[in-house]
Amino acid sequence: MILNHFQTMVIFALAVSLAFAFLSKNSMSERIRYAVWAFLAFLVVAIGIGWLMYPFSH
Amino acid sequence: MNMAEKHSNPINPALTLVAAVAGWLVPGLGHVLLRKWGKAIVYFCAVVALALVGLLMRGNVFNSNAADAFDTLGFLADIGNGILYFLAGTINPAGANTAIAAGDYGTRLIATAGVLNFLCVLEALQIGFASQQSREEEKRQAGA
Repeated sequence: MILNHFQTMVIFALAVSLAFAFLSKNSMSERIRYAVWAFLAFLVVAIGIGWLMYPFSH
Repeated sequence: MNMAEKHSNPINPALTLVAAVAGWLVPGLGHVLLRKWGKAIVYFCAVVALALVGLLMRGNVFNSNAADAFDTLGFLADIGNGILYFLAGTINPAGANTAIAAGDYGTRLIATAGVLNFLCVLEALQIGFASQQSREEEKRQAGA
């Protein structure tokens, strides 16, 4: 199985944000809100850091 | 982990320890024993998905014969996968290939799955021990 960096990151973010939501929150609405927030935060921060490093890759 | 969680049924200490070991061996099984069905399903899916994708991407599974501190840390993280750690060779008979980027990503996913499962085991222990504490408090209040 070959996945690129972005696809791997999405799987990582999805699994970890879901598990963290169930570990840290009690009600289902809180869990959903936290999971969505954490998932988006993982993606936005990773893409942001990726673009910050872009100039150094040349 | 939330300390404020209330437990209707007290959980005995032996069951707590059995749940911790079972949860390490099979992700989510500890929470099944503690009757936390929703958490059990989510933890099982999250840990197994990460570990399986990591293995199928030919990630490296560290063994106990560590050459340096990083290998030791990798082993400690990977062993958290429980039965998936021991079945790694069966799931991916081709073995690791970290010469390609996908193999390197897979190595990280396997380690993440292991550490995540350790967190789930700790939560199972916390649920059991918090239940015992609340039962003791109830007894004390009833006696006072």
